[in-house]
Amino acid sequence: MAFMTLLPTLLHITITMVMKNIFIYSLDEIQYEIWVFPGIVILISILSTYSVIYRDLFNLRIHKKAFIPITLAPYSKPYLVIAILISAIIESLLYGSIAMIILSFFLPQALHWSAYAFIPIYSFIFLLLFGNLVLTFSILVERISSFLFLTIILFFFIIFGTGIIVEFEFYPKLLGMILSYNPFSMVLSELRGFLFFDQINLIFIAVPILVALGWTWFNGYILKRKLKQ
Amino acid sequence: MEASITLKKVGKLVDKKTILASLTFGIEKGSLVAIIGDNEAGKSMLLKVISGVEYQEYGQVFINGLDSKKRRSESMLSIGFVPHELDLDPWLTLEENIRFIGMLYGVNTEMLNTRMIQLSRELHITTHLKKMVKDISPGNIKKGMIIRALIHDPDIVILDDPTAFMDAESYRHTWDLLLNYRREKTVVYVSQSLQEVEEAHDRILVLEDGKITLDGSLDRILGSTFEYHQFQIEFESLSDELFDKLSKLPKVKNASRIGQSIHFYGRQRSVFFEVLNAAASTVMKDIRVQKLGLQDLMDAKYAKDGIH
Repeated sequence: MAFMTLLPTLLHITITMVMKNIFIYSLDEIQYEIWVFPGIVILISILSTYSVIYRDLFNLRIHKKAFIPITLAPYSKPYLVIAILISAIIESLLYGSIAMIILSFFLPQALHWSAYAFIPIYSFIFLLLFGNLVLTFSILVERISSFLFLTIILFFFIIFGTGIIVEFEFYPKLLGMILSYNPFSMVLSELRGFLFFDQINLIFIAVPILVALGWTWFNGYILKRKLKQ
Repeated sequence: MEASITLKKVGKLVDKKTILASLTFGIEKGSLVAIIGDNEAGKSMLLKVISGVEYQEYGQVFINGLDSKKRRSESMLSIGFVPHELDLDPWLTLEENIRFIGMLYGVNTEMLNTRMIQLSRELHITTHLKKMVKDISPGNIKKGMIIRALIHDPDIVILDDPTAFMDAESYRHTWDLLLNYRREKTVVYVSQSLQEVEEAHDRILVLEDGKITLDGSLDRILGSTFEYHQFQIEFESLSDELFDKLSKLPKVKNASRIGQSIHFYGRQRSVFFEVLNAAASTVMKDIRVQKLGLQDLMDAKYAKDGIH
């Protein structure tokens, strides 16, 4: 409960309240507090997804606790990966939704009601990608120290490389362009396009979904190889 | 009898080292099979391969006639596996650990509750069901693992050291439960305790360097290997001449001297009387005859070299 209520407040104080003095408006003339709102909600969901997958897969696997009996149950490995992923996402969307309600009190102006319906939908797509990334680490990495090292890099990438808190136009041109075409950025870009300009680019929705589905199958495959089952 | 588990030329490599070497054997339905062997003989790996924890590199494993690789989901339904290490989730209660696996196997709630309560009563851990696993003793965790393996009522139960970490009472409760399943379920287990194996088995497999070197009941294994008895006679005073005389008797094998005692092996008990006759003029303090057991079999000298 503390996680659900304190984290949004903490992120608002440490990110939104600080950055709004630097950026004030986005390049499309949206108030920074409103522009960053969906990103902060997704960031909170990400933290939850990360901890759930760490707990349910990496921690149990490397400490040899309960994981092998789970893998012996009569389900395929992709099915098992999907189950871990979806349960993590559902839990995270719950946290994200509560965070969204709390953060909305800090907004200078209310968003259209549809925003509160579509942010969780786009969050789901983003979390499918992020969850798969953490699943890949959880399956392949054998040491906690390596996992923590990768986690730090991962969060730097998520915070600064997907457009959660800073627009890509502030980056060097080539770097900004490359980053804007990664599937994570596509989801956020499409979400903001829909929320602030009523634009929908189906390619920017389809590509992340297809990547996530392929990645899920791949995680099932590497889990099977890793376990030698 | 119908085979419950069949291995055909099963080979397992770990880092290019052969752990299991072309194993071919079957296990009958309802039998109680113990697997013994030295450390690194491949016992645990054999259990892992049979239970589907790790696939073999070569050969086939059939569970109730189903190829365990090709029809994994169906064959896994027939197996309950208890690994050696304590692997319950420490941050869940014992009941939650069991319930979770039961639900994964599709056991309905009513059946799950009935089985869990019945098994926990038989293993005397009902009072621990609501406790977090991190707060439970290792022996009781192991019992919880046995319940978890039995919760979906498998035909085959595979246990790696089932009574590890248990005190005498828990050991008895566990074997009471497992022996109740005799003829009903196939039970395959590995144990480091040879006394445990001697007490509970229909068949013993002796594994050495990934190969089965001996296979059969205890009597058959000991009989086929060496029908030896171990003898010990303690004299008031054992002279070198007497020791030489006794050790050179034709049927006396591997005679050794410890203080005023002579130890030796013989194929028939009659050898003992021949020794007694030969030493009749010397005062004896104590005599002992013991039939060889698994411990003697596993003793490297006799298992590998035999008695000369």
